[in-house]
Amino acid sequence: MTGPTQADAVQADPAPAAPLLELTGIGKNYGHVLALRDVDLVVEAGAISCVLGDNGAGKSTLIKVVAGLHPHDAGSYRISGEEVRLSSPRQALDRGIATVYQDLAVVPLMPVWRNFFLGSELQRGRGATARLDVPAMRATAREALLRMGIDLRDVDQPIGTLSGGERQCTAIARAVHFGAKVLVLDEPTAALGVKQSGVVLKYVASARDQGLGVVLITHNPHHAHLVGDRFLLLKRGRTAGSHTRAEITLEQLTAEMAGGSELAELSHELRRAGVLRSLGERPPDPPGPPGRPA
Amino acid sequence: MTGPDLLAAGEDERLAPRSGVRRLMGRPELGALVGAAAVFLFFAVVTSTFITAGALGTVLYSASTIGIMAVPVALLMIGGEFDLSAGVLVTTAALASSMVSYQFTAVTWVGVAVSLLVTLGIGLFNGWVLTRTRLPSFIVTLGTFLMLTGANLGVTKLVDGTVATKSIADMQGYRSCAWLFAGSFTVGGLTVRATVWWWLGLVLAASWILLRTRFGNWIFAVGGDADAARAVGVPVGRTRIALYLGVGLCAWILGQHLLFSFDTVQSGEGVGNELIYIVAAVIGGCLITGGYGSAAGSALGAAIFGMTSKGIVYAQWDPDWFKFFLGAMLLLATLLNSWVRRRAERG
Amino acid sequence: MRRPLPFAAALAAALLLSGCSSTGGLRAEEAARSSAAAGGGSGVGTPRWTFAMVTHAGSGDSFWDTVRKGSEQAAAKDNITFVYSNDANTANQVQLVQAAVDQKVDGLIVTLAKGDAMKDVLARAEAAGIPVISINSGEQYAAKFGALTHVGQDESTAGKAAGAELRQRGRKNVLCVIHEQGNVGQEQRCNGAKADFGGPLQVLYVNGTDLPDAKAAIAAKLQADPSVDTVLTLSAPLAATALQAVTEAGRAGGSTETDTFDLSSQVVAGLQAGTVGFAVDQQPYLQGYEGVDLLWLYKYNLNVLGGGSPVATGPQILTRKDAPALAQYVARGTR
Repeated sequence: MTGPTQADAVQADPAPAAPLLELTGIGKNYGHVLALRDVDLVVEAGAISCVLGDNGAGKSTLIKVVAGLHPHDAGSYRISGEEVRLSSPRQALDRGIATVYQDLAVVPLMPVWRNFFLGSELQRGRGATARLDVPAMRATAREALLRMGIDLRDVDQPIGTLSGGERQCTAIARAVHFGAKVLVLDEPTAALGVKQSGVVLKYVASARDQGLGVVLITHNPHHAHLVGDRFLLLKRGRTAGSHTRAEITLEQLTAEMAGGSELAELSHELRRAGVLRSLGERPPDPPGPPGRPA
Repeated sequence: MTGPDLLAAGEDERLAPRSGVRRLMGRPELGALVGAAAVFLFFAVVTSTFITAGALGTVLYSASTIGIMAVPVALLMIGGEFDLSAGVLVTTAALASSMVSYQFTAVTWVGVAVSLLVTLGIGLFNGWVLTRTRLPSFIVTLGTFLMLTGANLGVTKLVDGTVATKSIADMQGYRSCAWLFAGSFTVGGLTVRATVWWWLGLVLAASWILLRTRFGNWIFAVGGDADAARAVGVPVGRTRIALYLGVGLCAWILGQHLLFSFDTVQSGEGVGNELIYIVAAVIGGCLITGGYGSAAGSALGAAIFGMTSKGIVYAQWDPDWFKFFLGAMLLLATLLNSWVRRRAERG
Repeated sequence: MRRPLPFAAALAAALLLSGCSSTGGLRAEEAARSSAAAGGGSGVGTPRWTFAMVTHAGSGDSFWDTVRKGSEQAAAKDNITFVYSNDANTANQVQLVQAAVDQKVDGLIVTLAKGDAMKDVLARAEAAGIPVISINSGEQYAAKFGALTHVGQDESTAGKAAGAELRQRGRKNVLCVIHEQGNVGQEQRCNGAKADFGGPLQVLYVNGTDLPDAKAAIAAKLQADPSVDTVLTLSAPLAATALQAVTEAGRAGGSTETDTFDLSSQVVAGLQAGTVGFAVDQQPYLQGYEGVDLLWLYKYNLNVLGGGSPVATGPQILTRKDAPALAQYVARGTR
């Protein structure tokens, strides 16, 4: 596989003319079921677009369209201004769209470094002598994880032995390393506890700070409001609201979502844990160099 | 430790490097290695014949005829699939080679080449049907197994008039083929058959592919979690098809060996061997659910099989008990493996 | 050619372990062994030789159990350590023979059902100076591969004997049941029967490892073709199955007759009751017994029975009048 190299990510234009992703009036049917109808989504470099909605609202369908698993049936899908119709995840990957699914797309029994490079293995030699560059892959995997703030002394351990948060972060680090321009995260905090959710959100912010556009799918308005720049609310496959960060407060966002009041506690928890110091009150403009959280 | 201070202190222990012992415990071959050593020592002590050169040659040969097929079957199992047609495919390979050579009065090499095309074709068919239909490989290859069992008998009877092929021992090219597939040489009384070299070569090649190539990485990934592999761009379908082609290739090698060491082929044979190959792979540490295992382990599994089957003869025991021992070993090996997996997956 | 019986492996093992109360052969052997150990000897003055027998039998086959009993009896008499092994798979049988050669046994008894495959390994036995006797099937290969002699039954001859008997009995339409598709010996039996019977004889293939299925197949054929008045089976367990199939097809008590190769207590009971017309016996006990005894004679005195020509143990046609005398021997598992 010839995925973009890490250099591409660093050199990625921080302010392209067109948004990285622009979906307009997207519709998707499964047989006679309308899974998605007339949905707009914009993703810009160095910004996080949150997609919110309850179960069955169409979040997964939208992700599948963005990630190339299913082609859309209506509307237009533009990547950096170019109209596309993706029919395989490979096509999306080649265009710099990396998706981290809920199940993380990691193979539990395989070592961390093998998982990290899965599908984009480094090789030495050509033709029949082509072989994995194991030392380089080990070193690179450890380094890339370190850059995201994950310190694994042993990248040979099966990834299944890592905690949920660590696995999530490894998957994000993988996407960032392979030069993703757009990171699509499917419910990254759904299965995690409060502290681990905080860690993951921090890495999401870290990816954003490195200039990536992020699509964050969640049903948790608190998590969304902590890091999001744009908010798209879905209900039964349709747009129920679309806001920029300036237009909406957490309370309004929560109110628009059905029942989320008990999550207010989480906000306090996060605040106490110190995540908000670095996440909540960030500068209005995306910073140029990758910001390392303290 | 530069990790975020948010990580709970309890996670330090997980980040600690694993000790050498635990690393060894994580190897899929461990169970088989211990088992093979135990079986070897046992028969070396119990019988006087077992550690003579002649007996070792026979045991090695016996192991190699299982091991040659256990290698691709192990790879396939690591890739998360089964091939129940592997046993009769060997017979098909031998039959195809023999009949083509005889019926067209061709140099035996022609039959050998056609046979390779046939086995690769069947492997391709298995893999392709599996990929296209997404049926479980158990069902797909069970179908191929039954079809091949019938076709082996039917075609042989149609072509040769009997259920065994005619001898090709007097045909041109036979000697060179026999040298390559069924030859042997003797070093210090130890007779090493050609299959042993084929076997060793296959184990080394498969180990290299598994551990040091991109394709090997894909095999683990496809067996460990096919959806995850697909999501990161691994060509899951092509990987599976390639694994079935591997089974075809090795069935071809073993089929040619059977033909050129016995001159004729009984068309009804091979049934049941597919399970023996799977047993060897499982004893060798392959998980039945895929994603874990090794080629070297399959070789150890085949060696255990060879040592046990012949050791019982050297010990002059009642061979009726052979399957009992085999079953007990399979159970022990599987228990050990599942314990290892639980330990590895614990997270 | 013999067929594997669908007995569960556990059952086979249990039978071997416990030994039926009526197995005089085993008891006699044990008695002989203990007397040999006590210094009484086994009646011969030769040293204790080791003979190995390697057959192409599947596991748990009563036919081969009878062969083994014969061998064990002879071994006990001749002061022989008798080692038996078997595998239905050609390559595995060859490896077992090789293992016996590795052990430098004093004599080797093999079946040559798979013919050519045995050539190389028997040459190695010859090179190692091990005398070989072949039994059961593979008569045509025996001399070629250097066997001293062959003890068994020629399958074509046996088939022809059955065919002649069928004709003599005035059977009209025969169904020959092959229960091991791909077994040359079974084909030879049916072909031989067809040749000497002269009348219509059809072949039915059934699965010998699944007797209920075989029963259903035979019954269906009988129902579909009323003109079939004789079922010829090629083994004793299949004869018992065919008898049930005849009942199932509603032909019991009529003129439909089952004939078979080989004996079992059910076959003998059938002979007595008249449901089985005749049985073609090849005397498996004798094959096992003579295999060991002829090897002993060769080792002791360089005797070769038949001067190297095959020694026939069959076909022997057994009918109703033979049944009463046979019953007790069949019951103890030596016929």
